Amino acid sequence: MNKHTLILGLGNDILMDDGIGIRLCKKMQHYFSEESVTFDTVSLGGLEILEFIQGYNNVIFIDAIKTSDGIPGTVYYFTPADFKETSNLSNLHDVSFLTALEIGKKLNMEVPEHLHIIAIEIVEDLTFGEDFTPEVQEKYPEIVVQVRDLVDKIVK
Amino acid sequence: MTRYSIDPITRLEGHGKIEIFTNDDGEVENVYFQVPELRGFEKFVEGRPVEEVPQIVTKICGVCPGCHHMASGKAVDAVFGVEPTNTAKMIRELFYMAHFVHSHIAHFYALGAPDFVVGPGAPKAERNVLGVINKVGVEIGTEVLKQRRIAQEIQALIGGHQTHVVMNVPGGVRKGIKEDERLDIVAKSKGFVEFAKFSMKIFNDVVLANKDYVDIIVNGPYSLKIHSMGLVDANNKVNFYDGKVRVVDTTGKELLTYKPNEYLENIAERVEPWSYLKFPYLKKVGWKGFVEGQDSGVYHATPLSRLNASDGMATPVAQEEYERMYSVLGGKPVNNTLAMHWARLVELIYAAEHCLELAENKEITGTDLRNKMYQTPKEGVGIVEAQRGTLTHHYQTDDRGLVTKANLIVGTTNNHAPISMSIKKAAQGIIKKGVKVDDGILNMVEMAFRAYDPCFSCATHSLPGKMPMILNIRKADGDIIQTIKRD
Repeated sequence: MNKHTLILGLGNDILMDDGIGIRLCKKMQHYFSEESVTFDTVSLGGLEILEFIQGYNNVIFIDAIKTSDGIPGTVYYFTPADFKETSNLSNLHDVSFLTALEIGKKLNMEVPEHLHIIAIEIVEDLTFGEDFTPEVQEKYPEIVVQVRDLVDKIVK
Repeated sequence: MTRYSIDPITRLEGHGKIEIFTNDDGEVENVYFQVPELRGFEKFVEGRPVEEVPQIVTKICGVCPGCHHMASGKAVDAVFGVEPTNTAKMIRELFYMAHFVHSHIAHFYALGAPDFVVGPGAPKAERNVLGVINKVGVEIGTEVLKQRRIAQEIQALIGGHQTHVVMNVPGGVRKGIKEDERLDIVAKSKGFVEFAKFSMKIFNDVVLANKDYVDIIVNGPYSLKIHSMGLVDANNKVNFYDGKVRVVDTTGKELLTYKPNEYLENIAERVEPWSYLKFPYLKKVGWKGFVEGQDSGVYHATPLSRLNASDGMATPVAQEEYERMYSVLGGKPVNNTLAMHWARLVELIYAAEHCLELAENKEITGTDLRNKMYQTPKEGVGIVEAQRGTLTHHYQTDDRGLVTKANLIVGTTNNHAPISMSIKKAAQGIIKKGVKVDDGILNMVEMAFRAYDPCFSCATHSLPGKMPMILNIRKADGDIIQTIKRD
């Protein structure tokens, strides 16, 4: 079983800012070429997430988030212990992210020991479009640097 | 007057909520169920080659991407005036049965079962899928995940990807099924059939054997006498992939049938100022408001309505269960909202059995995958049954096949009016003067719309799992007098 690190980009790349996790994940591939790091992207949450993360030692999720009065482009870091609901980790149709993790443990699945969540404050995810909003686009270069630094700390 | 506000806590604050208004006597007077809608799909696909749209629509929603892909693929067939080959139809349908197996298992065990297997009055910490696993056993929880995963594997094998499906092309499918793959799917489908029958047994043992639960289903504030819609085959049997749309009235008599390209002559959409999402109704009857009864224009499109609108199931065990359900519940049509859970399990058995039937037919490995007798593209409508209702895709193109107009009526949108009415009826039956409104009450109201397997991902994009909620009880002036939270 794979004991490496998975960097998993979440979101929908045709719903404007919601695609930021996917785009950042692809961007990180340029910076991290270690064989021990695997990259993937999904547009799923809840129970489906369990299938993707099983067997890895470390998982870094990159997702969008919308918080009250959040400043677009802000990069957050948290773990399941101080979890905040992001845009795609949970699934209305089955279970929340934290419940999925509990189920994984209950069923003796190989739930990763270390889970990290990097979330980016977004503006728009209800309108179809392949571009970010101007607010997020403007901050994008800065977001990339912050996310890269966070991933670097976790991976190394 | 008091206003009760149930807000799903989402990243979309202020979106997706239930407002319950009571009078001075504490009786529920009105209920508003509000959800926002995704914007700009039509504009997004405008100008794109129509044959690309089936791939694009899989990204509309992560919950039922296969349904959108299938309705879209059929609409594109119609745009090019081409019928898929028999092999292609079988392959598409096989994929679709696996999609249904996957989704119906999820709903029963993660969303429906907590109310019955654990119990509607159980402590909220236990009334979830973990509580179900505690009750039925870890082995069964493992089997749930296993069967879901296998269903995903079949979809990925046939569709090219489990979520972003690339299977459908105009007049057929992109790739065929090899003999060794067919045999593998046969073995897996046998597992589906056994697991579907086992799930029905759990429902029998835990729900139907419990008089209190049966009483809630039959006599609780969960019934709605409205018309029933469903796709049926030439023998009026339930069909998820193809056929005509049939609507039966509140007495079970056929009210109308229509082919996909006749949907605009049969379905209209009501706009209400308090909701972003429209309210489809039967054009023939007209909009008479949010009312029940034979004269109402409101219909539902759910597992239960599909069974009501049909003359039976096309596979043997599903047919037995169909007959048993109507026998126990007093004949057709059934109007008990919570019977949707039962109907969903009948459908799960049908999907599993039909999956096996299709895989056992060696013709599915044929190589006639695509009919390329295309006509000049113009306009097409595709209709399938999504897990949560009849799904319609309609595209118009120029003569180069570039999209000029698109329109979708998604599964749950059909049920917008019924869900609103069911919530109101449940609230009226449960929230009374002197009744303390607590988490249990909140759950009883929530059960009314959970039965519909509502998925507003097409409309609200996504919401956190298990629908966390806040119930605000307000005085008439808007001041909050009590807040109940469920994380």
